[in-house]
Parts: sequence; C-alpha cells; structure tokens
Amino acid sequence: MNTRRAKAGFFLSVVMAWSLCAVRSSAQPNSDFDRGLAEFRAGNYSAAAALFASAEAASPGATDALLYQAKALVHLQDFAEAEPALRGYVRSHRGSSDALYMLGFVLNRENRPSDSLASYTQAAAITPPTADDLKIVGLNYVLLDDYADAMKWLEKAVALDGTNKDAWYYLGRAYYTKARLVEARKAFQTILDLDPRNARAENNLGLILETEGQPAAAIKAYRKAIAWQEQNSQPSEQPYVNLGNLLMEQGQIKEAIEPLEKAVALAPNNAFCHMTLGVYYRKAGQMESAQRELVRSTQLDPDNAVAHYQLGRLYKDIHDLDRAKAEFDRTAQLQSRVAGSKSTPPKP
Amino acid sequence: MKLEPTRRKGRVLLTLLLFFLAASRRFITAQERTVPAAAGSSSTESFVDITQRVGINFQYLASHTSRKYLLETMGAGVALFDYDNDGRLDIYLVNGAPLSDPTPKGTVPRKTDSQYWNRLYHQKPDGTFEDVTEKAGLQGAGYGMGVAVGDFDNDGYEDLYVTAYGGNKLYHNNGNGTFTDVTEKAGVAGGGWSTSAAWVDLDGDGFLDLVVLRYVDWDFDDVWCGEHKEGYRAYCHPDYFKPISPLVYHNNKDGTFTEVAQKVGLGKPGKGLGVAIADYDRDGHIDLFVANDSMGEFLYHNKGDGTFEDVGLASGVAVDIDGRTYAGMGVDFADYNNDGWPDIVVTDLANQRYALYQNSGDSSFAYASQPLGIGQMTLSHSGWGVRFLDYDNDEWKDLLIAQGHDLDTIELDHPNLHYREPMLLARNTGHGFVDVSAQSGSVFRQAWVARGMAIGDLDNDGRLDAVVTTNDGPVHILHNETATRNHWILLKLVGDKSNRDAIGAEVTLVTGSRSQYATVSTASSYLSASDKRVHFGLGQENVAQRIEIRWPSGIRQTLKDIPVDQILQIDEPAAPSTPQKP
Repeated sequence: MNTRRAKAGFFLSVVMAWSLCAVRSSAQPNSDFDRGLAEFRAGNYSAAAALFASAEAASPGATDALLYQAKALVHLQDFAEAEPALRGYVRSHRGSSDALYMLGFVLNRENRPSDSLASYTQAAAITPPTADDLKIVGLNYVLLDDYADAMKWLEKAVALDGTNKDAWYYLGRAYYTKARLVEARKAFQTILDLDPRNARAENNLGLILETEGQPAAAIKAYRKAIAWQEQNSQPSEQPYVNLGNLLMEQGQIKEAIEPLEKAVALAPNNAFCHMTLGVYYRKAGQMESAQRELVRSTQLDPDNAVAHYQLGRLYKDIHDLDRAKAEFDRTAQLQSRVAGSKSTPPKP
Repeated sequence: MKLEPTRRKGRVLLTLLLFFLAASRRFITAQERTVPAAAGSSSTESFVDITQRVGINFQYLASHTSRKYLLETMGAGVALFDYDNDGRLDIYLVNGAPLSDPTPKGTVPRKTDSQYWNRLYHQKPDGTFEDVTEKAGLQGAGYGMGVAVGDFDNDGYEDLYVTAYGGNKLYHNNGNGTFTDVTEKAGVAGGGWSTSAAWVDLDGDGFLDLVVLRYVDWDFDDVWCGEHKEGYRAYCHPDYFKPISPLVYHNNKDGTFTEVAQKVGLGKPGKGLGVAIADYDRDGHIDLFVANDSMGEFLYHNKGDGTFEDVGLASGVAVDIDGRTYAGMGVDFADYNNDGWPDIVVTDLANQRYALYQNSGDSSFAYASQPLGIGQMTLSHSGWGVRFLDYDNDEWKDLLIAQGHDLDTIELDHPNLHYREPMLLARNTGHGFVDVSAQSGSVFRQAWVARGMAIGDLDNDGRLDAVVTTNDGPVHILHNETATRNHWILLKLVGDKSNRDAIGAEVTLVTGSRSQYATVSTASSYLSASDKRVHFGLGQENVAQRIEIRWPSGIRQTLKDIPVDQILQIDEPAAPSTPQKP
C-alpha cells in the first residue's frame, strides 16, 4: 500500500542516480568485470552481480567489482547480500564516499537506522551529501522515532534542492505526524506547485483538512487525488481508503463501500483494505461479503489481532459462536504477544 | 557533519509503517468548549476548590528522578469514607516515598519522614478537616498507590486496604478512631506493583473479598525511553514491561484471607489500573471490569458458581470501535442512560478517545463514544479518575474526569497535548454528553496533573462533591455549588445477611418521569474509593414512587412513596419484604 509505494519511490530515485554513476565509473579491462558492466547496463542485474563476484574472486581488490556487485544487488533489492559486498569494498577503498553513501542506504533498507547514520556520517566527512542522501538521513530518524532530527535533516534536504519532491513529501509527513499542520500543508502545497496534479500531495492535504475538522473539503481533496491519479500507471489505493473511512465516519455506510472496493481492487494483497471493506460490509448487513473480506484479511496478515477480532464479531453477528470464540481466542493470544514485547532500550 | 544519533531506539518497523500510513488520522488540534451550562443553573461555578478553606494542606510527593521511573508519573488515590460513623465523610490520601537517583534494582521504597505519610483527615461538624493520621495509625508504608474501602469483618466500621509498590497494607478499623495493621495476619500483603483494589463479595457468602490489580512486572531498572537528548527522556510505554496477574483474596470470615485469583478465573495477566463492579447482564451475580493499560480490557462475567470468565472481546468492551487496544486507566460501571443496564466508561490517553460502552441488554455493548459526543470531546485529552455522577440532580448521570498526560515531555513533540490539563465535566443531556467545563467555574480553567478522584457528598447537601489528587502536587477538594432546585436522595444501605456495606446491591429508583438504576460500590475511578452511599438526582420529582433493592444475598426489598431531599438508611430485611414505608 502507501508504505510500499513510498519506499519504492525513494528507492528508485536513489538507485537511478547510482546507476548513472556506475556507467560513468567503468574502469580497468577485465573480462568478467566488463561483461558484468555490459549486463548491468542492459538491466540484467542478476547476471551482472554474478560476473562482478567472479571478477572480484579472480583478482581481489583489483577492480571496483565489489562496488558494482553491490549496486546490482541493490537493484535486485537484495540488501542482505549487498551489505557485505559494500563493506568489503570499503575496507579496500577507505576514501570511497560513494560506497559509504550506498552502504548507508542499504542499512536503511535493512531497518538498521543507527548503523545507516554512522555510514552516512563517515561518507559526509569525505564528500558533502546530496539532497537524496539527506532525505534518507531524515528517514533514518523517522525510524528512530526522533522526529525533531528527522525534520531537521529533511529541511536541509529541501534547502539543498527545493525541487526534490520526495524530500518535501517526507518532510510533510513528518510535520503531519507531529501535528504541525501549517508546516505540513506548506510542504504538500510546495509539491503541488512543482507538480500541479500530484495525487499523493493532494491526498495528504485531504488528511490535513480532515484533521482540521473540515470533512467536506477533505472529501473534495480525496476525490481530486483519485481523479488525478487515474492516468497513473500505478494508482494508489490510499485516497480511496481515506475517502471511504471519512464517509463511514460521516455515517454514509453505503457510500463508503465503493471506494474501499476500489482500494481492494488496486491493492488485492493489502490486508488492511480487505479488513476495512469487511467491516463496512458487516455494518451494511452484507454478511457474506464481509466474511469473505475478513477471512481474506486474516489470510494475508494472520498475526493481526484487529482482523481476527473483526472476524470474530462477524461470526458472532451471524450466530456462528464456535468460530467467533476461536477468533476471539486468537485475538487475545495475539494481543498478549504484544504486551511486554518491546525490547528494553539500552542504558544511555 | 555528524548525522548519527547517540543510541539506537526501538519500534523501528512500527514507526516507519505509521509514518508512511497516510490513513492515520488519530490526532487533533485543541478542542473548543462551547456548550451551554446546565439547565436551571444560574451559577457559573458548579465546582469550587475549597481545599484551603477546609484546612487541608496535603502534597503528594512523586519523588521525580532523572531516570524517569514509571512509578513517578502514575499518581495516587484518595478515599472518601466515614471512618467514625459520625455521618460526615472523611478523606484518606495516599502518598509516595523518597526515591534515590538512581534507585538500585530491588529497592522497596520506604517513607522516611512525615512529608511522605499518607494522611487521614477527619471532617468536623463545621465542615473543616483535622489531620488525625498519627492518632489513627494510618501513616502507611512504601510508595503508595491506591486505596479501597470496605468493612471486611462486618463490624460496622469501614476498613482500609492501601496498595503500594512493593507491598500492601490492610488496616482494621478499631471503631475508636484508630486502625490496626492486620496485613500479616490477614495474609494480604501481596507484592509487586499493586494499583486499584476493590472490595466485593465474589461468592455471595456475606463477607467482602478483595480484588487487587497489579500494573506490570517492574523493577527499578535504568531504562531509557524517548529521545536521547537533554530534556527528552520519557516514561516508558507499558509495552516495555510484561503483564502480571492480579491478586484475589477470598475472605475466610476469621480475619484471614486466601489468595484465589487463578482458582476463580480472575488470574489472567493484565496491566490493571482501574476496577469497577456491576451486574452487567442482570443475572444476579456481580461482575468485574478491569481497565488495562495498552492491552485488551477485561470484563469478568460471574458464572454464578464463584468463578469468572473474561468475556471482554465477545461482549465488545475489550477494544475500541476499530478493534484496537488503548491505554485504559480509570473506569466506572453505571447506567448513564437510565435503561436499567450498567454501562462502562474507560479513560485513556490523548489521541485515543475515552471509551464509552453502552450496554445493549443482551450481554453485549456498543462503543458509543462517537455518537454520544465523548469521542470528539476527549480526543486531545488524557484521563485518569472518572465517575458517572449526577452533579446537577437532573436525573441523568454526568461525567467528571481527572486529566493530564502521563508524559511530562509530551509538549516537546506534541504542542497540542498537555501534561497539565483542566478537569473535564461532561453533562448528560439524556441524548448524549456535552462538554460544560468552560461554563462550570474556574476549577475547569486550572491545569493540573490530575490522577485519582473520589466522589461523595461531603456536606450532605445532596450535591455530589469530588476530591482530586495530582501527581507531585496538592489535593483539590471540589465542592459542588451548582445552583439548582432539583431534588435528590442519598441512600445508605446496611446489609445483614449480605455484607454490611451492601456492596454489590442493586438499587432501582422509580419516579413519575423515569427509572434510575445504581450499584452500591466503593470501587471505580482510578486508585480511589468513593462514598458508598447511592445518590440519585430527581429533577423536579418530589417523591420517589418506588425504591427496589436487590441485596447481594438475593433478598429483594421494595419501598414506596419515599420523601426526597434526604439521606435515608435502609437496612436489609431478614427475609423478602413486603412493600413498606421507611
């Protein structure tokens, strides 16, 4: 859903920059290395990674094969394999900010924000970061739940490149998360100034309006976002979800169902969308459809206590008490997993 | 350029998910309070702070440290009870204890000097109070938390159970102004971090049993939560700590108790902060609700054979309307819509909405926070002590809520939320609740870190008063001065075959306009014990046509044509009674 698409956005922007960099950096003659480079240029990243690994094994440290192997693996989103390649390259090329920046990105993608930031810090000591680098630094702080620092670095990113829409988007989301609605609105409006039919920004403006208690304006914004993204090759389900939720809060149960049905069509593997649609069907008295959606939601995300609870409620409503009890028991089991589940933070 | 943080922090995946989830819509900006005052009320001061006037000068000491031990932010309770049977409510206040910084793991805090004592204030005939703590022998021990009131030996004098971190105390009321610590003999010291407690006759044997909630499995570990920079260290979320079973003590009728939590089905581990009782399905057996912090709430159904089962999920009260858990703190269990079925309110933290569950009468509840106005009203607030009370005697139970966030750092990240908050008064119009705080006096413009709250009629004028504790701050005695000519009645039930406090008795009062229903209890709210007398506001009704009582023993009693504006003692009859006049 939105998470996946948002991640894909920054992933592609960063990797594209590295790809060009890779082509420009082609180096010494080496048969496997050159063949790997050719495969890389052709977008055959698996083959490229294997050839770069072979080149490195034949002549350790003699070429930039490890760096390019890592780049190919990043394209394949194989971050676990990319990391050792990058660390190996960094060991033999201590002055390579390119490798350190990429290592920082890879560690971010591995959900290791502190390690990622350490790598970015090392890289920045060699070469100043770009707006894209600072954007990921900011996201690392989001991962650390440190929004003050996240906003600081995302603000630096947009100061460095005021046209970086991704940086503006993440900055807007950070502001929104911390209820700084004025700044959030400005960030999303900036995106719309740069890209007047940016559905993602308009959708978030809808959220701000909703938070401000302007449901009619919010609905209008969601509908506008939906219209704008119609021509997109990968329209997001998110404005449909937001529209449906708001209509439901307004008591418009039947009207809320249609947007959720579209959301499910756009994101058929999104458990949350199925669950929400199932709940709406239940409220509308469409029990068979509700059961189908809620069961699907629990299949897609079997550890989601809320989905099991909603399915249990449905079974209770249709007097299937044995299955209701089973779902409530599963809910309780999953809820108890959470209690006391957080790792104890270290001493300062 | 240094881009890295000082330390790794938790909740990585969850945080990123929430960040990207554009559907998240659970915070709001500050709410306006623009609702009319109570009908028939000409005063703008519904509640007036009379603490200084009545001679009470109590300061709760939390002993804040740089380590942000979770204990420091939870506050303590208060009891309103008549310990000397002089007809006037007295006040017992629980206090903390000194904490070293850091406090070694395994420490059991002790009250080192009198500033940390719990305090008993005796109400004199002129309405002022005198500190009788030393004479009563109620200085307490340890880092105090909650208090429960009940006459466990049926001798006619209210006894006290005081919870604390590291060990609890049972004080037997000797009937002469003194209390005796009988904890050891009774076998009810418990352990761990005890919070709210409730006296209730679980098995119908005529003697009060004791339910003692515990919060989390906790010790003085030096755990850093929040951002790693100066001023940002925060109290840890309860998810960092394991849940723990409550303690349930069966009264052996000889001054001793036996712990039976697992045996009677009440031993489910939780993170209990609030407890309240009522017979939600009206099957004649008292049930329990436990407010848990950040896990599912428990509704324990009494199966009638002395055992219980949690039906929270099946009945719809374990989670909010979205199926999500929340930070349950205080609770009350009373019939606010006068349909004869007890409803539930649970306070929680900002961005969650206080949970109002309306009893559907079929063993299930509907989440009613949104349609009845509580949701929008409370979204930016954090609540603790809570009670349904008919403050303006208009026959509809309103809500008074003690508020204040648990994090003293909350405003650093959320400028729209506050550690110190005014109290909330929500008036029940009969169709829903409206926030009348802004029109109800200066008390509701003062920001406190409020925690515990007890309700009772301090001056026996038929208008319910409140006592509110604050974290690391003074107590506030809130005198109800609502200008109203509405009628009222206050019922003091005295059990015979049933427990003498009549805790668990159900009272239905019928007037020409409607019926009202209440349960006798001293438990509910947060860490606190309220006046056991049952209060009914009667509006313009100048007679109670009928008062029906179902005593815990099962005996039913009916009184007819009762004059109003009085405090009426009703004794449990020896056998099912015929209609009688008092």
